[in-house]
Amino acid sequence: MKKPSRWIVDGADLSRRSMLRVGALSFMGMNLSRYLQAAPLVASSGTALPGKAQACILLWLNGGPSHIDMWDPKANSSFKPISTNVPGIQISELLPRSARHMDKLAVIRSMHTEENNHGMGHHYVMTGHRPNPSMKFPAFSSIITKEMGPRKGVPANIIVPKIHPGYRNYYKAHFLGAQYEPLEIPDPNDQGFEVPDLSLPDWLTVERMESRRTFLGVVDQLYRQKVERAEHASMDAFRAQAWNMILSPAVREAFDLSKESEATRDAYGRNTFGQSVLIARRMVEAGSRFVTALDLNRPETGRDWDTHFGNDYQHRDYLVPVVDRTLSALLEDLEQRGLLESTVVVVTGEFGRTHDLNVGGGRDHWCHCFSVALGGGGIRGGQVIGSSDERGAYVADRMVTVGDLLATIYKAFGIDWTKEYMHPIGRPLKIANSINDETGTPIEELV
Amino acid sequence: MIMAPARRIQLFRSILIAGSLGVAVGLLGALVAGRALAEDQPSSSGIVSLRLVPEQVLLEGAGAGQRFLVLATGGDGLEREVTAQASLSISHHDVARLGPRGKVVSVSDGETALRASLGGRSALATVRISHSGRREQVSFATDIARILTRQGCNGSSCHGGVKGRGGFRLSSNAMHPAEDYDWIVRGGGYQVLTDKPRGARNPRIDLKDPDKSLFLLKPTLEQPHGGGMRFEKGSTDYRTIHSWIRAGAPYGRAAGTDPVIWRLEVFPEEAVVLEDGGYQMLVTAYFSDGRSEDLTEQVRFESLDREVLEVSPGGRVQGRRVGEAVVLVRAAGKVGHARFGVIRRTLDRFPRVARNNLVDEEIFDKLERFHILPSPPADDAEFLRRVCLDVTGTLPPPERVREFLASRDPEKREKLVEVLLDSSEYVDFWTFRWSDLFRVRPSAYDYWEWVRQSLAANKPYDLVAQERIAAQGADGASKHLIRAGANVERVVAEQFRVFFGRRMDCAQCHNHPYDLWTQNQFWGLAAFFGRATNIGSGSNQVVFDDPAGQEQDYGEMGQTSLVFKQVTHPRNRTRVEPAFLDGTVLAPASRTDQRLELARWMTDHPDFARATVNRYWGHFFGRGLVEPVDDFRLGNPATHPRLLNRLAEDFREHGYDLKHLIRRIVLSRTYQLSSRTNPGNREDRINYSHALPRPIEAEVLLDAISTATGVPQDFVPPGGEIYAYETAAPGTRAINLKFPASYRSRFLDIYGRPQRDSVGGRDNKANLSQALHILVGSTYNQKLGQPGGRLETLLSRRASDREVIEDLYLATLSRYPADEELDRLTALARSHPQRGEALEDLLWALITSREFAENH
Repeated sequence: MKKPSRWIVDGADLSRRSMLRVGALSFMGMNLSRYLQAAPLVASSGTALPGKAQACILLWLNGGPSHIDMWDPKANSSFKPISTNVPGIQISELLPRSARHMDKLAVIRSMHTEENNHGMGHHYVMTGHRPNPSMKFPAFSSIITKEMGPRKGVPANIIVPKIHPGYRNYYKAHFLGAQYEPLEIPDPNDQGFEVPDLSLPDWLTVERMESRRTFLGVVDQLYRQKVERAEHASMDAFRAQAWNMILSPAVREAFDLSKESEATRDAYGRNTFGQSVLIARRMVEAGSRFVTALDLNRPETGRDWDTHFGNDYQHRDYLVPVVDRTLSALLEDLEQRGLLESTVVVVTGEFGRTHDLNVGGGRDHWCHCFSVALGGGGIRGGQVIGSSDERGAYVADRMVTVGDLLATIYKAFGIDWTKEYMHPIGRPLKIANSINDETGTPIEELV
Repeated sequence: MIMAPARRIQLFRSILIAGSLGVAVGLLGALVAGRALAEDQPSSSGIVSLRLVPEQVLLEGAGAGQRFLVLATGGDGLEREVTAQASLSISHHDVARLGPRGKVVSVSDGETALRASLGGRSALATVRISHSGRREQVSFATDIARILTRQGCNGSSCHGGVKGRGGFRLSSNAMHPAEDYDWIVRGGGYQVLTDKPRGARNPRIDLKDPDKSLFLLKPTLEQPHGGGMRFEKGSTDYRTIHSWIRAGAPYGRAAGTDPVIWRLEVFPEEAVVLEDGGYQMLVTAYFSDGRSEDLTEQVRFESLDREVLEVSPGGRVQGRRVGEAVVLVRAAGKVGHARFGVIRRTLDRFPRVARNNLVDEEIFDKLERFHILPSPPADDAEFLRRVCLDVTGTLPPPERVREFLASRDPEKREKLVEVLLDSSEYVDFWTFRWSDLFRVRPSAYDYWEWVRQSLAANKPYDLVAQERIAAQGADGASKHLIRAGANVERVVAEQFRVFFGRRMDCAQCHNHPYDLWTQNQFWGLAAFFGRATNIGSGSNQVVFDDPAGQEQDYGEMGQTSLVFKQVTHPRNRTRVEPAFLDGTVLAPASRTDQRLELARWMTDHPDFARATVNRYWGHFFGRGLVEPVDDFRLGNPATHPRLLNRLAEDFREHGYDLKHLIRRIVLSRTYQLSSRTNPGNREDRINYSHALPRPIEAEVLLDAISTATGVPQDFVPPGGEIYAYETAAPGTRAINLKFPASYRSRFLDIYGRPQRDSVGGRDNKANLSQALHILVGSTYNQKLGQPGGRLETLLSRRASDREVIEDLYLATLSRYPADEELDRLTALARSHPQRGEALEDLLWALITSREFAENH
């Protein structure tokens, strides 16, 4: 008796939702018949999923960038707004290069989270949940990796450079499974940059490896007959993948920055962050699904985005220029290679910074309202979503939660953002968890 | 508007479907019953005995009913539930009548017999009826709460969730009916962090016009309802609620005097069904006023493993595949459970197994009941490697392996265990294990010393717990309070997780959604820590309980200070008095050392011993009797509850002696079973019919590689982001590092060493980095032929291939190679152009094999 009536609810809900969407589309100058035409076109493009995105590059500005000095210029910022290549959208003068790519980027100016310290905020943005000692939440990077699956035998989930061990937990797949955990790559700007354990040492030949495999076949045989464990199959799969990675040049080459021209390397910036983002592009090109490029404790200057002192000079002289250069290089490069349509680029930190300077000329943590920039992967750029109040302190219009942001990114991939996983302790977990246990909603103008 | 006709049609159709389905089910039922009689019946040997459950019952009140089950034991010893196949009859039709599915319904006061017969056997039960004319008034706490529970309204994924749904919140399973009543009758939206309701309080019922009550409009979908339609307008539940509202929506008797469910009895407590077999469950509630009632149709059933077992809304389970599953029974205000084994076939004969101690009694009894065939005992080599790794985290050296395997002493296993328990490696290893659990972090040097000394002295575990909970002063255990992040809820939740095996963190912010813990209980316990404070800075900090308990400023910038001042309840912002679980407030006179009072209460509590033996059990078997080992809760019952209690009792009686507990475990036959499975136990993962292989922890594995290759690992502190205690002397083992995470080690990173920033932070699943490291990484490749290492030493004294292979096997796998292995490996080595390289490759194969990487 319950089933048919539920069907009605779902049906009504569905039609209401699709009506809304169609409404929004025609508002943007696309009429219903074109919308209906568009649907099968996407479906026949080879993937079963309607999303355009195949990969995501996350530029993580650790410590919390000052939104009013970047994407949401205000009078209480020390910097002036400048025009961009999209009429009507202005951003801070500290981002002159990015301003020329505004058509590719959407800026959300009304992000809101509920965690105001680094660890908690970082966890919150990466998982959509506040930390909870009784359970561990998978990062959305792991969720995308799981939902999309690996490609071309390349590690699907990457973090570059190596993350601080205290933050490692925020990027884990936890109960989803080890195959969705990120692979950590060392600093690509280091002189002797090399991804560990990826190539045969000089003294180890392929013949030698084969000999070892023969020995292992004998040694492992009795035990494999005796004991059956699901984990053996998973280790075997990892070994096969590892073997292929070591033998095939593709993966090693993806990590080999010498394959890039000096001009490209310069364009991304000869620093840890720039080269990390370049690695990210190479990995996405090779087949990775999600690459997190961390801008964290820059080795060159020891800076990060936690500007409790001297906010202005740090943003002006050190922090923003690096990101401005790298981000615009990335967008140009992706576009040139035809990858922009399939690659989501997200720029964020764990929160923004306060609207008033403190006595040390710094700005402190501020999670109530800040900005996120994103584009590519079918996300429609050249738009501003939501707004903050006059001083950039609170959301003035259209609060966007982490759940909404994640739902938007999932939708770009064609992942059902309303999905829930069952946590091993028996609690259902929304993959796009929003405030008050609600499911996040994709931002319609963007996807 | 548009939907109304559609819904009516739907309704009409569903009635039609229900009608025709009813007929079909009846027919099908008859067919199935016929088939079952022919096939699933205890075969040719027939039915050995038949019984009725319950044997007798007293039905009180108008229309009271009781469902009966007919159970038949076959020649194979399996008791099947056969109510549908049996014929039932009643001796006095004027007293009671027979309803469908074995239900007996009262007619008038008196007594009657119920007879069941099947396959030439029969069974009797007695039914007494009294007060058959009495009609109870509908009350919230019983009738309405039952509907909310059975319909799933107060399930944790609906309104029973932490924050409720759509602004409407109910306690899960109606654990707190008075609160639920308030939200329904007075209305309002629940908010987590304050006891102020959100928005205006609009009642969800309409006393003047009950049909207009939100409480009825939503579940019947007359108003949009995210949870869909729960019941139809005019259904029994609808009418019950309707008449309750019309009666003025009474709570029932004065709050607190309503009869509450004292005990929930689930039948069967435990049963075995075949893969395609079924079993009807029976649920009886015993009330505080002495009555009992058949609640089978008033509860919600939930299988915790639906791949193994499914359960219908009416409580009929159906086996799906071989395994074991718990069915949770949620009644208003109580949770019960039943455990079902699903088997492929019954065992003809359970082997006669010697039982070494209480562990074996419980484990083998259950295996016999569940028709699971245990594996034979492990041979000496298997036992030796397993017990050495489990008790000392250290592989036995080759000469020890030879000696043990050669010994003919019938008590050599017992003697070995004593040697291991007295070894310094025991202290090393358990210091390492405890440092994980107790979260020994950098700069807490003397905390580590306290752990180590406690183990070296084999300090009774209750004393260890008391010292940690009540720690004061500048030494040892007090350091964990300063390092914890100085936040009272975290410290308290952690004490309970470590020593009670319970995750109370949920109860900080709200009543625990899956357990009985309330937020008030949590904060009552937290208040015991309300006076803890500290003074001093750096390594000279002193922790003490400030008798005034007032917030004080000890000045000095930059010192870490505990912020446990007065404990305030986060919802109502009132000061909380220290109170035990049952609500008893600690008398002011006993507050001189209130954390010691709490510590004593905790260590006297049965949960303390249970949690401890379960944690140790989990260490030795790779799985707790309650799993995860620190997740005791209503919805997560132990696989062997009696064993858990007996082990806990035994542990307590032996003065919380951890070495005694280890002896009990490792000297049991159960622990000493082989990991080799048989067709009768291959699918078993939770009944200990064979040893469960598990990965060796990062630090222990690294040490094993070092000892097997004879090349120690150097540990280099990074001297950067994380402070290391000291430089590790050459040859230091990983388990002897006070805080392994502070040393540079790719190996430990990829094998999942914890940062110890939370309890249970270890993750040792296989991953890609491990596979890469195995193939080309330094740990596995640079130690093989190193000068001074095991292989190089063997080669330099011109050992034969056979000697080398044997010694490498003993050093890595703690066993001699099988003849077949020896032959094939010798041949492989001979066919290789370079002998040294070939033997290096063999050593590589040995240390990268699964047999080496696992404890089995």
